Amino acid sequence: MEVTGAFLRGRDLGGDLSLDVDAVVVGTGAGGSVALRELARAGLDAVALEEGAWLTSRDFDQREDRMLPRLFQDMGGRSTEDMAIRVLQGRGVGGSTVHNTNLCKRTPDAILDLWGRKYGVAGASVADMRPAFEAIERDLSVTEMSGPMRNANNEVLREGCAALGWAGGPLKHNRVGCRQSGYCELGCTYDAKENALKVLLPHAVDAGARVYSDVEATRLLHDGRQVIGVKGIARGSEGGAAHAVEVRARIVVLAGSAVGSAALARRSDVPDPYAQLGRGLRMHPGAVVAGRFDRAIEGWHGIPQSYECTEHLSFEEGSDRRVWIVPAFAHPIGAAASLPGFGAAHMTSMRAYPNLAVLTAMVHDETSGEVLAGDDGRPVLRYAMGESDRVQLGKGLAACARLLLAAGAREVTIPAIPPRRLTAVAQLEALDLSFVRPHAVPLTAVHPMGTLRLGEDPRTSVVSSTGEHHQLRGLFVADGSLFPTSLGGPPQISIYAFALHLAPHMIARAR
Amino acid sequence: MRASTQARPSRRRVLQAGVAAALVLGGSAVAFVRTRGYDLPADRALQAFAPWQFIVVQHAARRIAAPDRSGDPSIPGADLLDVAGFVDAWVARMDARVRRDLRRFLAYLEHLAPVAAGHRSRFTRLSPSAQDEVLASVESSSTDLLRAGFDGLRSLVFMGYYRDPRTWSLVGYDGPLIHRPAGGWK
Repeated sequence: MEVTGAFLRGRDLGGDLSLDVDAVVVGTGAGGSVALRELARAGLDAVALEEGAWLTSRDFDQREDRMLPRLFQDMGGRSTEDMAIRVLQGRGVGGSTVHNTNLCKRTPDAILDLWGRKYGVAGASVADMRPAFEAIERDLSVTEMSGPMRNANNEVLREGCAALGWAGGPLKHNRVGCRQSGYCELGCTYDAKENALKVLLPHAVDAGARVYSDVEATRLLHDGRQVIGVKGIARGSEGGAAHAVEVRARIVVLAGSAVGSAALARRSDVPDPYAQLGRGLRMHPGAVVAGRFDRAIEGWHGIPQSYECTEHLSFEEGSDRRVWIVPAFAHPIGAAASLPGFGAAHMTSMRAYPNLAVLTAMVHDETSGEVLAGDDGRPVLRYAMGESDRVQLGKGLAACARLLLAAGAREVTIPAIPPRRLTAVAQLEALDLSFVRPHAVPLTAVHPMGTLRLGEDPRTSVVSSTGEHHQLRGLFVADGSLFPTSLGGPPQISIYAFALHLAPHMIARAR
Repeated sequence: MRASTQARPSRRRVLQAGVAAALVLGGSAVAFVRTRGYDLPADRALQAFAPWQFIVVQHAARRIAAPDRSGDPSIPGADLLDVAGFVDAWVARMDARVRRDLRRFLAYLEHLAPVAAGHRSRFTRLSPSAQDEVLASVESSSTDLLRAGFDGLRSLVFMGYYRDPRTWSLVGYDGPLIHRPAGGWK
């Protein structure tokens, strides 16, 4: 993929940058890319600031140790404040759409209904959102992953569902020309992801937008009632601050994720009369279970996640079925970190790597956390898993173990300290799941959302149903921080679609 | 409005205070001992760690990535792969807050964890089996942040170990498709 013209690297700036534009978008992931495109297509002078690097398929070398620091926030080491949950988020032009596994699901109807009914979100009903979903799915070539696209790890999940009579099915993806290499999470070397980097941002650039990479937005400029622009720092080739950046604009669109956008808003003293800023953090915390099979699985080959189990997932309010199960294979470094223990015993466990199938249970969480700006301005994620979610996690891990055994696993391992190793369902039924809790079981979250949420009532929301901040005119949000509750599934399509749905309001304000 | 984390003490800060207090209460002898007896080769240039911290990481890496078959020449050791060097370079690029927490954890591992596990010597002077006991006790500590610290170090060591193509045949991994050598990764 060759993209030229209006992609500019901060490291190449010859000096400080000062711009006067109609709109500035902070972040270039799913939401930012759509917002930028729509603003540019409307004839507005629009720029995007992206703190990470501009990498293309030529830069993705399928090596974990090299791609983790280049594609992920904090080199893949971001966590909650208490270090109980590892939080994986993208960094760079294209955001998390560069490293995600291409899962495409619309916001569930029941969730949209809930937001309208209980959270005061207007104009985002199922019918209201349908055009945006359809448009995004067309733009990203979303298609269902058929049987031949399913690798052995996903087949294990399908077999387990079939054996137990559990609900499940193929997932939809945004990929064209996929070589099924299995290295999706390290960026696609074959440029097969129809994502923000490949599709939306080039659309935006073709329409006249400028994308500045290596530029970190450090402060929103405003007078307490109207947004004025953004200040930032352009990083040099060694990562240090090289030049000052100031962009004055009629509107600012925050699209740096539920973590980045909230932290930026908080450290910029954005008005917050009802103490809503940064609150409502949901993350879909998840844990894995590994099953050892006699046959080779080699789960690192092929598309990582093409099948799902929805037996334990309901979107009805108050449901006690809030777990989504998908495969979760990792390359050797990730696998080693996921398997419990150390030393000789751990190496012996790793020798079974080709025969492992791994599933993850992610909780459609009710816990409400918070994103703050630390003393150094960096995000602090405060999230204490509630008992209800902890119980769901335990149920989810038990369900994963049951699926693996049903599919023929000789032994399943729940990576706790000490690890729980099971060879029969009877052992699972006798297992006390109270050990499943943060710090006792490794947890990972990849879908932070909810910290600048939508709603008509400024006492319980941050932005109105138009996506504009209740108190600060011209400040919009176009990322996962919009969502009033957990989605219970992969958020990228929801983020793309909501940005598209809200774009007309951004355009009207910017004119 | 910047919301400071100083509004209420975080668990991280409680741990920091506890470790600091323990080190101080251990007396100046601890600070004195900590800077002696850690000899690095002259050509070793460190990026993130003090010499004593690097040597703690070296010892920990040898145990965390210990081979499961004694004397098997096909299993590369942590020293051969310079796992500690990798960790030093990696940590140098990490957030300052994380670097600080890791250094504090290494201080705990070297000086306090052995005591908690019933040993008299510092970690780097223990036998391999005693080091394993210490690591196991930290791994299963009742203090969440100590377990998190151990898991962080463990993850870094495994990254330094399994990043190297010489380890991939151990685990049956055929490695990346691009730039794959004619005879496969070795």
